[in-house]
Amino acid sequence: MAKAAPSLDAIDLDAMQEGVREFVEQALARGQRGLELAGAGPQPVGLTPKETLYERGTLKLYHYTPMCDEVYRVPVLLVMATTNKSFVFDLSPGRSMVEYMLKQGYDVYVLDWAPPTQAERGLKLADYTQDFIPTCIEKIQQDTGEEDVSIIGYCMGGVLSLIYASTHPDGPLKNLVCLTTPVDFHGMGLAKVWNDPKYFDVDQLVDTLGVLPSETVSQMFEMQRPAQRLAGQLRYWENMLNDDFVESYRALLRWGDETLPLAGEYVRETTKELQWGNKLFTGELMVAGKRADLKNIKVPLLSCVAEHDHLAPRASTEVLLDLVGTQDKEEILLKGGHVSLIAGPNAAKRMWPRVVEWLSTRSV
Amino acid sequence: MARDPNPMTQSFSEMVTEWERNFDAFANQVMGTDAYSQAMNEMQKAQLQYQKGMSELMTQHLCNLNMPTREDVLQLAEAVRQLDRRLERIEDKMFLNDDPPVAKKKPARTRTPPKARAATAESNAARTGKEKDNG
Repeated sequence: MAKAAPSLDAIDLDAMQEGVREFVEQALARGQRGLELAGAGPQPVGLTPKETLYERGTLKLYHYTPMCDEVYRVPVLLVMATTNKSFVFDLSPGRSMVEYMLKQGYDVYVLDWAPPTQAERGLKLADYTQDFIPTCIEKIQQDTGEEDVSIIGYCMGGVLSLIYASTHPDGPLKNLVCLTTPVDFHGMGLAKVWNDPKYFDVDQLVDTLGVLPSETVSQMFEMQRPAQRLAGQLRYWENMLNDDFVESYRALLRWGDETLPLAGEYVRETTKELQWGNKLFTGELMVAGKRADLKNIKVPLLSCVAEHDHLAPRASTEVLLDLVGTQDKEEILLKGGHVSLIAGPNAAKRMWPRVVEWLSTRSV
Repeated sequence: MARDPNPMTQSFSEMVTEWERNFDAFANQVMGTDAYSQAMNEMQKAQLQYQKGMSELMTQHLCNLNMPTREDVLQLAEAVRQLDRRLERIEDKMFLNDDPPVAKKKPARTRTPPKARAATAESNAARTGKEKDNG
């Protein structure tokens, strides 16, 4: 029912005048702050102390300096999605999943990706899952002296981790945590419609470009929420005087703007095998001659999914527990979206403590 | 700083959220159609064809002018990058030889979950109490 219009007598003109005055004052203050921020450099990110343990082409392995005298026996490897930089795990002090885990007594390693060069255009799923991840695990084993390693994979990093786990059933993986990881690619919403084999010529795309430019990758993301950027900028303006908001927004904006290019063959293979063939879901995916059947995964598995995830919608993530072979499995459905699940106040309050608690009993 | 309680700003914020939700829902409806997918991919195909044609033409012109092509420059950049990495490794080794690194102190890998720690602390406290009673 429509609200009745207030009578003129009921309007408090003094309060209204005060409201307008405050609004104008704040608008001016926001404008000034906006100018200051426009002149400032990019938001510093990834400040938690670390060393590069290993580096080869697109692959980078970081080891974060432990923050406790006593850590859990099993080290943790965070595997980043191939489309983005890993600093989303370590935005800034107090907003960093890595820092949180270090303070909770974990020994943390992160697998990050540098932009693949034209020389690396031929990288395929086999390189990521049968070479890069196993190499990182080997390096971690050497560094820690421990045989077991737990993996936390985010988005496509989770897909790569699942493929790795299913093709290495004999270990040394101890636990697997998948964050917003799509498995049923036919439930991918808009991405599925846009990549319809009837219209999308992935061969032409890859043969022409070699390496898919970062602009194309970020466009694919942004097009799924076309109003998000402008709405974000309006909220930024609105919260311009809120230092906490500004810092968080600028860090996440930087992360979104620094999307990575993708190796062409990897795009061709993921499009044909995962999106069109849906072979990770059907258990028919073959990688380097090995069958990536999720039933082979017998290690404890935790799947964290977001209720409002538009990039890995619920339909693409909800089937994971049914497909894996382990009995020790759990899914946590949390409020939030694809990014807010792992970074930001929502993540710090909801997701990080749950993951840390789940891992703690399985990391001794 | 706490969220601005000004009703004008609050209604602005609500308006932005509502607009974003509605616009995204509408855009997703349009973009989720077969026709949109077809149009978008046709456009991309045309763009890629144009890009390929231009690239071939430009390569031909640059070859005629005896100048390096984009491919040559990229290869050169990759070679420089590799040299740079090699140099970095050599520098690292030289530095290591000059000043051997101090062995890192590694934390003990004996941590137990908080609940187990609490239980251990409780049993330790109980044992200490018992020993005191016995003593």
